[in-house]
Amino acid sequence: MLKLRTVLKRAAAASVAALCLLGAIASARAEAPAGAGQTVDAEALVTNQGSDSLSFVDLATLKSVAEIKIGGKPAGIAVSADGAKAFVTSPEGKFLTVVDVKSRTVERRIAVDGGPLGVAANPVSGEVYVADWYSKTLTALDPITGAVRGRVEVGSSPSGLAVTADGALLLSADRDSDQVSIVDVASLKAITAIPVGKRPFGITLDPSGARAFTANVGSDDVTVVDLKTRKAVGRVPAGRLPYAIAFAGEKGFVTNQSGGTVTVFDATTLAVEKTIEVGDTPEGIAADASGRYIYVACWFANTLDRIDVATLTVTGQATVGDAPRAFGNFLVQAPAGK
Amino acid sequence: MSLRAFGLAAAFVALMPVAAWAHGPTRQKYIDTIEINAPADKVWAVVGNFSDMSWNPMFAKTEAKGGNDVGATRDLISGSGSKIVQKLVKYDATKMALQYEVMEIDVKLLPVSGYESWLTVTPDGSKSKVEWKGKFYRAFVNNDPPPELNDDAALAAVTIEYRKGLEALKAKIEGGK
Repeated sequence: MLKLRTVLKRAAAASVAALCLLGAIASARAEAPAGAGQTVDAEALVTNQGSDSLSFVDLATLKSVAEIKIGGKPAGIAVSADGAKAFVTSPEGKFLTVVDVKSRTVERRIAVDGGPLGVAANPVSGEVYVADWYSKTLTALDPITGAVRGRVEVGSSPSGLAVTADGALLLSADRDSDQVSIVDVASLKAITAIPVGKRPFGITLDPSGARAFTANVGSDDVTVVDLKTRKAVGRVPAGRLPYAIAFAGEKGFVTNQSGGTVTVFDATTLAVEKTIEVGDTPEGIAADASGRYIYVACWFANTLDRIDVATLTVTGQATVGDAPRAFGNFLVQAPAGK
Repeated sequence: MSLRAFGLAAAFVALMPVAAWAHGPTRQKYIDTIEINAPADKVWAVVGNFSDMSWNPMFAKTEAKGGNDVGATRDLISGSGSKIVQKLVKYDATKMALQYEVMEIDVKLLPVSGYESWLTVTPDGSKSKVEWKGKFYRAFVNNDPPPELNDDAALAAVTIEYRKGLEALKAKIEGGK
């Protein structure tokens, strides 16, 4: 434990140094247009369903630096593995918006049927998956051409999506089937469905990739699924109406929409360690790559709150647009070692 | 009782317990505030009494159980006999704030589902500010809702309830009743 803390401290120090350096570079080149090969600072891309927009929050200063119009009541988001593109779902507009992160512009809109909400990007192939809430399907598409490679039927109201680090498996939380579907990416065939708690909504893989955790909005808890045995192996009690989960510092963090809190649990023992008060109606949650911070979009408060992992307290917040959700992977991470 | 993905007739929605919706139709929020010419503790004595919502002109009668304990419930009955059942989920007498959720609702009164609300009293010198805020979904949770159960209808109904309720609260307290 001591060894881990030391490692984390050193990594955090390096990250802070890296962020400072990137911050300096950013302000120096503020006048010049971003060109190929230039790095992007760490940012949170927050979908604001109420203001129909996407906020760009600079994480070094924890300030919103831009807000662009998206339309169609954006909710879900995924960022490409290289941090270059963001994919935003608009469930009411029935489209996926591809955003260029550096230039902060909308590149294209791709029509998707039904109620597109959950979205994920394949870290290996760059393919994008969109869940249709109403038709029980996941669509695999090319975000550059918009071409659909195929669709796979899963359970009812597929919500959160997650892709394994090797790009081979796609998981969906099928909210109204109380299950997680595992899909083989290459064939786009559903391999199996694993019963979990009631109304699983957000799904997140732990850092090792060995387990998937679902935030179960119907049973106020988290289910732990072992991806090797493909069985539910544990449960963590959460607050009221859990939404999504993130991992940092060997802990899991789950947002509780109606509790206005984040439940923190030990990712190994599953013991609940703390309940942190955050802004009203916390929803989307993500971990900074350094493991130092957790970011939470607070839908009613219209803020992005930052939790310091070492102290498990809220140490800052940024004001974003109206009704932020940030459902999915919404962080653009600073490149390491700069 | 299992939640259904496709809420159908209004009557069916009226029988459902609070929907644990995390998505489907877009959730809405609404905030209204009013200033009352009375000290905060006097206002809290009215608003913070969960067993009695008679200050809200929407309801003719409150039948309550559990006082101000978290988990307390109240049946709110309109003049025409329609009912809303609410449960107290947070109560902070020091902050003068309470939060409740709707367990059952007759959509004739309020065409909403998954409804939760906060009432907060804040002192403002010798006066007080009351904030009433709520989050909710439309009553018809599938695609293509009929107009009386759509997003606009939900927001309009909440807007009217809050405005009428806060004005009635102000009149009641300032009128010295």
